[in-house]
Amino acid sequence: MYIAGMGIIFNRGRGLDILEKALEDGWVNSGSVYGVPEEVLKDKIVLKDARRADDFSKMAILAAHDALADSGLGEKIKPKLGIILATAFGPHATTFRFLDDILNFGDAQVSPTLFSHSVHNAAVSYIASTLQSRGPTLTITQFADSFQQALILADSWLEEKRCEYILVGSVDQVGKVMEYIVSQKLKFAPDGKIRSFNFSKEPECIPGEGSAFFLVTNNQKDKKYCAISGVTSLKEKPDLTILDSDGFAGDESLYREVLGKGTLVSSCAPIFGSMLTLSSFSAVAAALMLKKQKFYASPVRENPHNLNLCVENKAGKINSISCLRYDCNAKSSIINLRN
Amino acid sequence: MPSDSIAITGLGAISACGNNTDETLHNFSKGARSAGKVSLFKTELDYPVFEVKGFSQENKFMMRTIVLSFCAVKEALQEARLEGKLGDFRVGICLGTTVASQLNDTDFYSAYRDKGSAPMDSVNRYLKSNLAGCIAEFLNLRPKLCATIVNACSSGTDAIGAGLSWLRNNYCDIVIAGGADELNRVPYDGFSALSVMSKTLCAPFDRDRLGLNLGEGSGVVILERASLRGKNNFKLNLCGYGLAADAYHLTAPRPDGSGLENALSQALNEANIYVKDVDFINAHGTATHDNDLVEGSVLARVFGSKIKFLSTKGFTGHTLGGAGGLEAVFTCLGLREGWVPNSAGFENIDEKIGIAPVKERTRVSGKYAISTSLAFGGNNSALVFSRN
Repeated sequence: MYIAGMGIIFNRGRGLDILEKALEDGWVNSGSVYGVPEEVLKDKIVLKDARRADDFSKMAILAAHDALADSGLGEKIKPKLGIILATAFGPHATTFRFLDDILNFGDAQVSPTLFSHSVHNAAVSYIASTLQSRGPTLTITQFADSFQQALILADSWLEEKRCEYILVGSVDQVGKVMEYIVSQKLKFAPDGKIRSFNFSKEPECIPGEGSAFFLVTNNQKDKKYCAISGVTSLKEKPDLTILDSDGFAGDESLYREVLGKGTLVSSCAPIFGSMLTLSSFSAVAAALMLKKQKFYASPVRENPHNLNLCVENKAGKINSISCLRYDCNAKSSIINLRN
Repeated sequence: MPSDSIAITGLGAISACGNNTDETLHNFSKGARSAGKVSLFKTELDYPVFEVKGFSQENKFMMRTIVLSFCAVKEALQEARLEGKLGDFRVGICLGTTVASQLNDTDFYSAYRDKGSAPMDSVNRYLKSNLAGCIAEFLNLRPKLCATIVNACSSGTDAIGAGLSWLRNNYCDIVIAGGADELNRVPYDGFSALSVMSKTLCAPFDRDRLGLNLGEGSGVVILERASLRGKNNFKLNLCGYGLAADAYHLTAPRPDGSGLENALSQALNEANIYVKDVDFINAHGTATHDNDLVEGSVLARVFGSKIKFLSTKGFTGHTLGGAGGLEAVFTCLGLREGWVPNSAGFENIDEKIGIAPVKERTRVSGKYAISTSLAFGGNNSALVFSRN
């Protein structure tokens, strides 16, 4: 399937221009959590019918909207459009606000609005309403494999012609409670920097949040970026491997074992922060690199294992990039992108 | 893409209407409804619920949803004669839920709020409770594909639909698909806040319906390509799936029902059949005013006044993410057994809907049946099943 459009919202802002600048700039210290600033979620035009939506849904709406807008395909494809959203944890911040109601006021005095927004598929419902898209909509949660499973289903839907175009993406959020949970379960990087190439058994993380969306299709004429040539297995040696070693899924020593000798390596985790759906963000960066035919330097350079790191921003011939992720059960998943 | 038909080789169900499919059929035939007060958690509210009884959860660490689901999976695998044999195949697991996807433990959150710290037990339990992942672990399986669908009340239906897509695309040989949910305080309070719960037993499609009763349970089907295990005498097939968004409102269905109509149209097209071929419909039928009005009106408009339809939620309550799985199993049981139960709770026709569900146990002899789901967020889904 081909990527016809992309949208992204993350710690440094919204849009592909912001992403390109972030890739140029590399790592900057964004604090102990890479949250999306509140002002980034203010868009009175796109969000005019989603004023009551929570930040989880707003991030997803904006990224999905931007992916469709980026394609330039607009209204004409809406009758043929499906939406698949991946999320590792769902709108947990809203769920905890709903629990506040229960604890503060009792079972009988809770907010129906908070309840309806605490459901995982609230975001995809808002996307459908905002875009006035009446096709199939689905939400998947599979922790570190959520986005990969969403891509596989998107491919299935396109192959069986359930849809001609699909907005497939991810959204995840960091709230105060999640921050606390991460602090109890994992190690925070004390200087705010994720060191993706340490391959530690107890890696350090910086929780991030955001949303990344792709408009995908089997229509080659609509290809704007590249093809997603496969999910879950490494089909060939890529020109660049982006590691999603972000400290969020435990032992990272396996990354070292799987890398072939001389493989050119990078990681976008230090830009986006740690998320179980990080692969979707890495894939946006990869598609941008393929489009621009430009390597961006790895945002961190600590390289204790002497990997062949991508260390400078430079033009180059790039045919394929793979995004590699290990989950907590040592299961790998790979998203292969190809021009 | 393989042109094989997709056979259903195993069914498993656990709900307040029975802890397996045999018990369910027995209670269907008696018209037995077993709702009562909430016993699983403390609450100030007093809405009746359909809890699963006579069911012991030996592993207290696991979420109840997972254990309910595993009961249904085991029964379905047993019927499919696949117990201990899954390692020979490319297996997919696709299950729907709502509760098991949420970290909503009030004890944990209360402790965190009050003291700024809380024990991690419930968090650890949540992190170990991804429904599809957990079932894979229970089966000691590394599935080819594994996904948990969280599409609110249509999750189970959409999980079965996704399984159909995997098989058609030849990603898997066999898919374990369905849905599961436990009764939980968060949706109990939430549906109360939405003013859609009834203080009496629910009465789907009835003129005087007052709202839904919540329930819990799991329904699972085993899907496989009909040719997978050579010559067979499978009786049931999954022929079509449709899903379509309302793009209208987070909690209310689109009044004209066009989303459901689109989903039905897709499912019929995929099955390559016409409305006249459909013998009966297991409707979503929650017993809320809006759902039943929209759904009933669409069924009348699409299938005409003679269509046989029912809601089984009068026997199970609304089991949320489990509903689509359970109702798919019940639809298959109807096709297999040649009868469907009465639409429990229904007494008087709602003239605004214009058609009535079956009031008594009814023989069904046609080839095709449909199960529908309408969900929060305006998702509409439909599955078409057939018997050989």
